[in-house]
Amino acid sequence: MTLTKEASATTAVARRSRPKLRRGPAADRDSRRRSRRGLTHWIVLALLALATLLSLFPFFLAAINAIKTAEDYTAHGPLALPRSFDLSAITDFWQNVDYTNKLINSVLISGGVAIFGTVISLFNAFALGIGRIKARRALLVLLLLATTIPQEALIYPLYYMANETGLYDTKLVVVIISSVLSSAFGTYLLASVLSSFPKEILEAARMDGASRWQVLRLVVVPVIWPTLTVLMTFFFIWTWNDFFLPLIMLTSNENQTASVALGSLQGQYTSSPTSLAAASLMGILPAVAFFLIFQRTLTRGAVAGAVK
Amino acid sequence: MIMRTRLCRSLALAAAVPLVLAACGANGASGDGEKTFTVWWYEDAGNPQDAAWQDALEEFKAAHPDVKVHFERKVWQQIQDAGAMILNSNDAPDLLEYNKGNATAGAVASKGLLTDLSDEVSSRGWDEIAGSALTVGSYDSAGLMGPGKIYGVPSYGEYVGFYYNKDMFAANGVQVPTTMDELEAAFDAFKSKGITPLAESAGDYPAQHLLWGLSLANADQDWLKGYFGLAEPLDTSSDSPLTQAAETMADWSSQGYLDPKSSGLKAEDAWAQFRSGQAPITYAGTWMVNDFKDTITDFEWGQFLMPGSGLNPGSGGNIWVVPTKADSKDLAYDFIDLTMDQTRQDLMANAGGIALDADPSAISDPTGKMVNQTFSELAESDDLGLYGDWPVPNFYQVIQSNTQTLVAGSQTPEQFMEQLATAYDQVQSTVQ
Amino acid sequence: MTTSAAVHREARPGPPPPKAGEKGYAPYLIPGALGFLVVVLVPFVMNIAISFTSWSGIGTPSFVGLENYQRLIHDQMFWSAFEHSIWFIVAMAVVPTALGLFLAAVLFDYIEPRFGQRASSSLRAGLYLPQVLPVAVAGVVWGWILNPYGAINAVLEQLGVEDPPNWLGDTSWALPSVMAVLVWMQLGYGLVIFMAGMARIDPQFHEAAELDGASWLGRFRHITVPEMRPEIFVVLLTTTIAALKVFGPVYVLTKGGPGDATNVPSFYSYSNFFGSLQVGYGAAVATILTLVVILLAVVFIKIQSKTEGAQ
Repeated sequence: MTLTKEASATTAVARRSRPKLRRGPAADRDSRRRSRRGLTHWIVLALLALATLLSLFPFFLAAINAIKTAEDYTAHGPLALPRSFDLSAITDFWQNVDYTNKLINSVLISGGVAIFGTVISLFNAFALGIGRIKARRALLVLLLLATTIPQEALIYPLYYMANETGLYDTKLVVVIISSVLSSAFGTYLLASVLSSFPKEILEAARMDGASRWQVLRLVVVPVIWPTLTVLMTFFFIWTWNDFFLPLIMLTSNENQTASVALGSLQGQYTSSPTSLAAASLMGILPAVAFFLIFQRTLTRGAVAGAVK
Repeated sequence: MIMRTRLCRSLALAAAVPLVLAACGANGASGDGEKTFTVWWYEDAGNPQDAAWQDALEEFKAAHPDVKVHFERKVWQQIQDAGAMILNSNDAPDLLEYNKGNATAGAVASKGLLTDLSDEVSSRGWDEIAGSALTVGSYDSAGLMGPGKIYGVPSYGEYVGFYYNKDMFAANGVQVPTTMDELEAAFDAFKSKGITPLAESAGDYPAQHLLWGLSLANADQDWLKGYFGLAEPLDTSSDSPLTQAAETMADWSSQGYLDPKSSGLKAEDAWAQFRSGQAPITYAGTWMVNDFKDTITDFEWGQFLMPGSGLNPGSGGNIWVVPTKADSKDLAYDFIDLTMDQTRQDLMANAGGIALDADPSAISDPTGKMVNQTFSELAESDDLGLYGDWPVPNFYQVIQSNTQTLVAGSQTPEQFMEQLATAYDQVQSTVQ
Repeated sequence: MTTSAAVHREARPGPPPPKAGEKGYAPYLIPGALGFLVVVLVPFVMNIAISFTSWSGIGTPSFVGLENYQRLIHDQMFWSAFEHSIWFIVAMAVVPTALGLFLAAVLFDYIEPRFGQRASSSLRAGLYLPQVLPVAVAGVVWGWILNPYGAINAVLEQLGVEDPPNWLGDTSWALPSVMAVLVWMQLGYGLVIFMAGMARIDPQFHEAAELDGASWLGRFRHITVPEMRPEIFVVLLTTTIAALKVFGPVYVLTKGGPGDATNVPSFYSYSNFFGSLQVGYGAAVATILTLVVILLAVVFIKIQSKTEGAQ
């Protein structure tokens, strides 16, 4: 019990003490340069804001074309600002592919992978990074096999295995495969972070008689929570946009995902750019929402105070 | 405390998810004794084929009230990449639209995944309706398109031709060309006024269709049969129709008749140039005709085929195939019947699609009249020249990227032919 | 970690802590090991077996021995594709990691203290968003931008440039253009990882350094970068692997063209599996590709372990 209180207390302290810069005696000497410094802040901010806006320009292009009518697009091209407002392409697409169903499938699958993949990575990394199992280097390399092998090399064997076990065309098989493949990266990231985990905290916990499971749950997880949320966010987004695995493994439309449904807008010879822009912007909203929710936890819970 | 509950909550969720997924993930299995009919296609919602087939579906339901009809609209990419795997699994439908070609239909046919339809084709009269378009469903034991068993039935057709802006032609005093010389003169007339005549895209498939159209202009049926049959290594000499086509493309590009910068354009960009009146001529497939009909409101447009050419790129459309593992094959044949009958064929033609056997007097839509007439003429005179990328799997990719550099001017026609020959011969040598 | 850790160790006498046995940690590896076996190892071994056959994906494969590998050794297209991989490593690993680390420090250490968390979070979200956009759409939109008559050239012409390049259609410009798009796509990945990692660093280090008059850049070089070593290694390795396997973005932008200019090994592998149905050959390509990447990974991890040990 003491452990928990301390852990949460120190994290709370650390959170509160993330300071706005406190000026010390040396800095006071530079107070004469304060006005110039103030300008530098704003210049840096402006430059970064500009870079971010440029980075978002493709999204802007997609957005303005998503609401155009086909005639507007034809007459003025993709770069012109919209002179029309028409969401019929979106509603048609939504109905034609039953997009609600596809979004639900995508949320289930991506959510499942986010959770499972992170849990598997956590367990692996706990053993490798903190447990320091012998031959951990070799195990890490073996694990990386999962990220280096091209998916198409694995897909035929996986297809036959799924066929035999009756898991072909189920969401479960996609979750399992994606979780395992994602956990390779997750394990590597977490193991690297956990290798430099402050040993004193672990020793202190062990001294207090904590079991390994308690150490994992009460000490390690709170401290690396930011990285865990990064992992979950990545897994969710990568799985959300994964096209290949659902394409091959999910045949029936009722199990299909949003990313594949987008493929219906690109036939062999024809594609509808305005519909594609509209549908995909709608399609990424859940992923963006996921990211925005989780990024709030990314800066909280600074760890270092726990060392005290 | 907070951390513990958060972790516990996550783990509980993690445990619940697979249960939910397993429940949702059950693949459709029909009840015992209940007859079902499952059909898939990937035509865009509302296009002529889709319109006709939806109508057929309604008729089918009325004719078979005891059958549970299950239709799914698929994604083209899925049938292209995973088609073989689907046909090999227990989830295969009773009937599906399939991509024609050696690498797709031919490959799965040679592996025994498709039902041989030869008997049904003759007994139900599909061969008479399809005529020479039936080639796209006919494959030999090695999976090569040509004389052999019928594994697929097309119910519509397609071809590629020039589409032109009548208003711009009139404004510039240009007539519809009937010979290649006249075509180049027409190009020149526009070029001299500062207008790039051809809306093309060498960064995408349109340029290779133009290349094939030019090849067919210099080819005959013998050359065609040899080319598709992989009879011998690719002829790269200057006598070869393909070489001559490459030279013409390179020439046109250097003259500015087609934009060398089109190597950086997508197909959609080319159509946009034509639609907006920027370029007076484009070389497009009939799958674009409906789009033109709907979106071009500013000017009159028309069609002409490659001048002076007998053969023309074109073929039967995508084919209906019946998987070997299908449960309800008779129902599948009934459905094919419906898509091939006069009502559906006329419907397709009136929607702007190309039927194989529409009654000309029943077509009221002018665009429909135009394309159907052209197609039936081509089919009757056996002038459907298919497409140049069909003989060899992945040839599409090779031709595309090399046409791109040919048009951009960074590769000569000789180099172009060498690249094509490498890929062609590699497969040709294994076929004996 | 080093300073206060040393202080702590001296300040605490007494018996050494009980040795955490390796065996105790082994059960934690079971779920991962099981999954790995089924999803990765078995299929990979099967893939190697397939690489010794000629097969179209269905039906029975026919054994051909080393024929696929012999053909691969002489395959110009494959090895020239690897050349491009070097450039993709620069575009997807080197630049995004370096730039990402720097920007992360700026956002975390400069913007956030002065302008608050909201500002730095919004900027981070904006820079990360390219990772979320589906590749197909990114291809279409970048096509509009890089089109010879597209956004960039429109701006260039306004600025007086006479004949702006055909970015995606010119053999000399295609690769750099694709590289630029890849940087745009990859930057957010490292940025987010680094920013999460920077939350680990004891703020006292930075405060102490500042009190001693260290500049922002000095603190970046001497505190942030060393502390971020685990994350740097991870980001570098994973982005390098991603660069060697990159397929989607290249495919939608140029399809490997013009000619051979942007051809990549994994596109080549994919087109053998699904384009030309030469699954046996594709398996050989995939195996060789995997081996090259593994070799790289081993080297990386060895270096990383050594620096961890030194710490």
